[in-house]
Amino acid sequence: MSTPSIVLHSHKPGSPPGDLAIWFFIFAELLAFGIFFGSYAFSRAHHVELFNQSQLLLNRESGAINALVLITSSYFVVRAVAAIKQGLDRECANWLAAAIGLGCVFVVIKLFEFHAKFSAGISLSTNTFYMFYLSLTIFHFMHVILGMVILAAVMLKARRGGYTPEEHTGVETGASYWHMVDLVWVVLFPLVYVIR
Amino acid sequence: MNTPPQPHFVRPCTRIWLALITLTAVTYSIGEAGLGGKNIMLLVLGITLLKSQMIASYFMGLRKASPMWRIIMASWLVIVGGMIASAYLMGLQ
Repeated sequence: MSTPSIVLHSHKPGSPPGDLAIWFFIFAELLAFGIFFGSYAFSRAHHVELFNQSQLLLNRESGAINALVLITSSYFVVRAVAAIKQGLDRECANWLAAAIGLGCVFVVIKLFEFHAKFSAGISLSTNTFYMFYLSLTIFHFMHVILGMVILAAVMLKARRGGYTPEEHTGVETGASYWHMVDLVWVVLFPLVYVIR
Repeated sequence: MNTPPQPHFVRPCTRIWLALITLTAVTYSIGEAGLGGKNIMLLVLGITLLKSQMIASYFMGLRKASPMWRIIMASWLVIVGGMIASAYLMGLQ
């Protein structure tokens, strides 16, 4: 019996991993976040003192832990893709479950952060900084939730043996979206929590 | 049935993951030290763009994609980084 070989490219050579449609969606999302980041930065230029003072009241630990959580979750998704390329569907599902678990950690930490701010009487109308902080992080939060739903659907299909080493576009599609969610936080964290 | 060997991208992605963790710790430490100013901003922004490129190239797998996809992603990073840097410099005036 010959040794099975890995199918490295389940898609058209040169195209990014996963369904092509998700990449149009990813770049549309990145465009929206890019406009948001630019608006934050230029608004800060007109209110430097306000932004620097308000930033001091943010929980930087939460922001940093959430960055580590999403980066690690993204890496778990890489391992899920690697597993399905080897035909290990149960292992793929387990890596995805671990990634979703870290997504839940992100959500819980963020909810604590939002709760602390709302309890302190901070809202979208408090000042320009908090308008941006809350709308940016809530917008990203919704993407985390959507990403977790996508990963859960992929995980369930993987558990049922719905993917093979030859055909696993769905796993790569979900993975690409999740990496985008990670990428956005990697920019958002230093921009909002660190740069002053 | 024999399991195929682990795909070749796992090892580089593990190294990238460790690098991302380390660079995040550096960014956090800069924030904790309360450092600011033009040079610190450029350092933090440089680290951020490097991390973003690592995620795009390795985790998202764009390094194996055609130049068009890599150029679109790099353009996004350059435009976002450029906006953040120029707005910061505007705020210094």
